[in-house]
Amino acid sequence: MMIHIKMIGNYRDHLPPGAKNGMIEIEVPDGTTIYDAISRFGIPLDDSSVIVLNGLTVDMNTPLQEGDVVTAFSAIAGG
Amino acid sequence: MYGWHLKILRINLTTRKVTTEDVDPKIARDYLGGRGWAIHYLYKEMDPAVDPLSPENMLIFATGPLTATPAPTGNRYMVVTKSPLTGALAHSNSGGDFPTWMKRTGFDMYIFEGKASEPVYLWVNEDQVEVRSAAHVWGKEVPETTDILKAETHPEARVACIGPAGENLALMAAIMNDKNRAAARSGVGAVMGSKNLKAVVAMGNKNPPLFNPDAMRDISVDTSKNVGVDIKKGSNLRIYGTAYVPQVTNTLGILPTRNFLQGTFEHTDKVDGVALKEQYLIKNVPCYRCPISCGRLTEVPDGPYKGKGEGPEYETISSLGTGCGVSNLAALTKANYLCNEYGMDTITTGMTIAAAMEMYEKGYIPEDVIGMPLRFGDHDAMIAMIHKMARREGFGNDLAEGSYRLCEKYGHPEIAVTARKQEFPGYDPRGSQGMGLLYATSNKGASHMEGDVAYEEVFGVPVKENPLTTEGKPELVKHFEDSFALIDSSGLCVFLAIRYVFSKERMVWPVRLAEMMNLTTGAGYTPEEVLKAAERVYNLERMFLIKAGSGPEHDTLPHRMLHEPLPDGPAKGKVVELDKMLPEFYKLRGWDEKGYPTKEKLEELGLPVS
Repeated sequence: MMIHIKMIGNYRDHLPPGAKNGMIEIEVPDGTTIYDAISRFGIPLDDSSVIVLNGLTVDMNTPLQEGDVVTAFSAIAGG
Repeated sequence: MYGWHLKILRINLTTRKVTTEDVDPKIARDYLGGRGWAIHYLYKEMDPAVDPLSPENMLIFATGPLTATPAPTGNRYMVVTKSPLTGALAHSNSGGDFPTWMKRTGFDMYIFEGKASEPVYLWVNEDQVEVRSAAHVWGKEVPETTDILKAETHPEARVACIGPAGENLALMAAIMNDKNRAAARSGVGAVMGSKNLKAVVAMGNKNPPLFNPDAMRDISVDTSKNVGVDIKKGSNLRIYGTAYVPQVTNTLGILPTRNFLQGTFEHTDKVDGVALKEQYLIKNVPCYRCPISCGRLTEVPDGPYKGKGEGPEYETISSLGTGCGVSNLAALTKANYLCNEYGMDTITTGMTIAAAMEMYEKGYIPEDVIGMPLRFGDHDAMIAMIHKMARREGFGNDLAEGSYRLCEKYGHPEIAVTARKQEFPGYDPRGSQGMGLLYATSNKGASHMEGDVAYEEVFGVPVKENPLTTEGKPELVKHFEDSFALIDSSGLCVFLAIRYVFSKERMVWPVRLAEMMNLTTGAGYTPEEVLKAAERVYNLERMFLIKAGSGPEHDTLPHRMLHEPLPDGPAKGKVVELDKMLPEFYKLRGWDEKGYPTKEKLEELGLPVS
C-alpha cells in the first residue's frame, strides 16, 4: 500500500531525493506500523520527537492504512 | 538582599517629579519580581476601574530577579498596566537588550504615573534621571526615534519607545525596544502614548549582586550546555526560528486561516520557515545572553516590498499571513517590518484586518467605507490597512479599535475572534481544547503566553497530550498558568524555561528555576514555594480583573469557537467544549462555582479578602 511521510523542519534532511516540500510517497507492506514506517528514515528519535498520523495523536504501534500521512517533527519549545 | 536591587524609580509625568523608593524584602519574596511585583503595586495603588487611557492609569516596567544575571535568557521585562483593548490587565513581555540595560540602572522597576503636558522621554543613567522633551521625535517611527535618542544620550544606551501607532492611541500599539523587540499585546503602547511618553532610554553598570555568584555561574553554564546539546542535534528554533511552526499547526488542523473560518492553509509551504530561510534570512539575532538565538534578521532585497528588519515570527505568519489568507511571503515580511516601525502588535493587527476581510466579503462593510476592496489573500490591501490603522486614517480609525469593536460597530460581533476583546493567537482552540480553556480564562484576554498548554497539546514538550480531548485539561491549564506567572516574574524567557529549568515531574516542575532564584537572591525558596507565589500573583490579577469589570462573566469564547465546527483538517467537526472544562477549572483554582476566588483561597495565599 502507498502512504505519505511528511517531515517538518530539521527532519526534512532525512528524506530521500524525490521528496517535495518535505513530503514523499512510499510503498509499505500491509501491517506496517507508524513506528516501522518512520524508522526507515534514520531520524534520531528522542524526547523532542513528535509523530502524528493524519494530524492525530495515536499510538506508535498503530497499523497504517492506504493513503495515511505520517508526520514527524522535533520541538524543543513552542512558538 | 541579593538579586533584586529592591529599588523602584517612580516618575510622575504630570509634575515631572522623580522619586526612588525601597521595596519591602517580604513583598519582594512573596511576589517574586517582574509581573508579580507589578500587580502588587498596581492593585495596591490604583483603582482597577480607571479609564486605561487616563492619567490615572499606571504604567509599570518591571524586571525580574534573574534579569541581568548570568542565567541564560535572563533578559526579559514585563510591561504591566490596565489594557485599553481588553479593559482587563495587560502584562506584555519582551527581550532584546533593553531589559538588562534597564536593570543595570540600579532599579528593578519603573512606575509611570500621570500624564506629561507635552511629549517627553525618560533618560536614566543610573542615578542621573531626566525627563526630557520628546517634541523632536514625536511622530517619528521606531527605528529613527531609537537612533536619535541614542545619539543624544549615550551610544551604548538602549531604547524602548512607541511609534506613531502608540501616539495615535491605536489599541494594538506596542512598546518596541531595541527597534525590533516588542512588549506587544493588549495596547500597552497606547497607554504610553496617552501619557505623552515617547521613550525610555536606559544605561548603567549596576549589575545586581548575587547571593552565590560561583554556583550561579556554574548552573548557568550547565544550562547553556544543555541547550547546546539540542542545538547540535538540530534545533528548529535555531535553524528556522518560530517560523517552523506553521507546518506543525497546519498538520494538526489548527492554523488560523481566513479569520478562523478554516484550520488549514493550502499555501503553508509558501510562508513557512523553510521558505523564509531560503529567500530572505540574513542571520540569527539573539537576545542578550541567549544561547537559543531564535530571532531572524531578514531582508527583502528588491521589488515593491523591499525592506530589512526582523521577522516574521510564527505569530505574525498566522495573523498577517494565513489569518488574512495571504501567501505572498515578501508582502508578509514587509507587513511585519511596518508593524515594527509603527510599533504595533502583529497578532491584533493581522486578526483585525482578517475580521475586516470577512466582513467585506460577506457584504457587512461596503467598499466605499473601506476605500478599496478587502478580500482574503489581497496582500496589498492588507498592507494598505496597516498604514491606515497606525495613522487612524479613514477606515483605519475603525481598525485601530481592534476587531471586537470593529465588528460590533458594523453589526456583526460574531465575526470577532476574541476573548476579553483580545484577538486569538495562532492556535485554533477547536483543535486544541486546553488552549480554549486558557483563552477563556486568561487574565489578559486571549493569549498563548498566559500559560501555553500548546507546549504539550501541540509540541509534546515535555510530553504529548491529545489536543482534541478535554480530560485533564483544567489541571494542565491551571498548572501552566501558574508556571508562566512564575517565568514572567523571574526574568527568564519561556523558550528556555519550560525545557531547561523545569523538570518533567508533576507536568512541569520548577526545580532548577527555584535553585537559580535562590542562588541569585538567597531567598531559600522550595519549588513548591515559587509556584505558590506564582499562584498568589495569578489570583491577585484575577481580583484586579473582577474590580475592573472583567470578571468571571467574561470567561467565555466567541461564537465561532463554541458553535461553528471546524470545517476541515484533523479537528474537523470540533468546537471548544468549554462547559466541560470550566467548572473543574474553577474548583481546582479554589474559586466558587461562579468563578470568584473564595475567602479561604485568598487567605491561604495571604491576599486581601475584600
